[in-house]
Amino acid sequence: MIPMLIVLRVCGPRRISLWLPLFLVWLLLLPVVLALLPFALVALLIVRMDPWRTFAAFWGVLAGTRGTHIEVSTPASSVFIHVY
Amino acid sequence: MNENRRQILEMLSAGKITADEAERLIAALEKEPSSAGSTPAGSKLAPKYLRVVVDADETAHGDTLTKVNIRVPLQLLRAGVRLAGLIPQDAREHVNAALREKGIAFDVSQLKPENLEELIEQLNDLTVDVDHAKGQVRVKVFCE
Repeated sequence: MIPMLIVLRVCGPRRISLWLPLFLVWLLLLPVVLALLPFALVALLIVRMDPWRTFAAFWGVLAGTRGTHIEVSTPASSVFIHVY
Repeated sequence: MNENRRQILEMLSAGKITADEAERLIAALEKEPSSAGSTPAGSKLAPKYLRVVVDADETAHGDTLTKVNIRVPLQLLRAGVRLAGLIPQDAREHVNAALREKGIAFDVSQLKPENLEELIEQLNDLTVDVDHAKGQVRVKVFCE
């Protein structure tokens, strides 16, 4: 399952709190991806890479980001990122 | 002694079952997982995340000022290794050369999923304490 939401919080001189609904980004990107897919397929065949394995690997990387958590805090500032 | 095993032995001593039947029952008991809810020693759930925790004590009185807490899904690392396996041979040589320039003698073609599994297995609990001029930095890398 690919990530659907990213929460980003930055506390410092300016406080930023963002909830990025990735599912909307995927929906917007879907037509672009479908349009570029044949070109990617041809390019992969030219460089003699297995298209199926390549797409599966990219999908794995994308799906693997779900659950990533990054938290860094210092006295001056802090950053919080979580991928849902 | 296990309660079930005791019952089997009592039945055997009372003559209700034969020695062969008792042996079969005990063997069946040993195959079954423990019903008491206790997990056998050594069995662990497969880790799902790689955690890196850094605590830096930068003051003389030991207050922790900087904290880093990173959790990376192991699935992402596995996918990354699989992706690295797709890099064409000539591109791998470029990557290896670039790594060598940075002083890292590492062959990307040697990066295989089974190596990662071995690393995860070994990386049960690794703690690195670093002393520096301002205080102490504690780095903990582990899988959970």
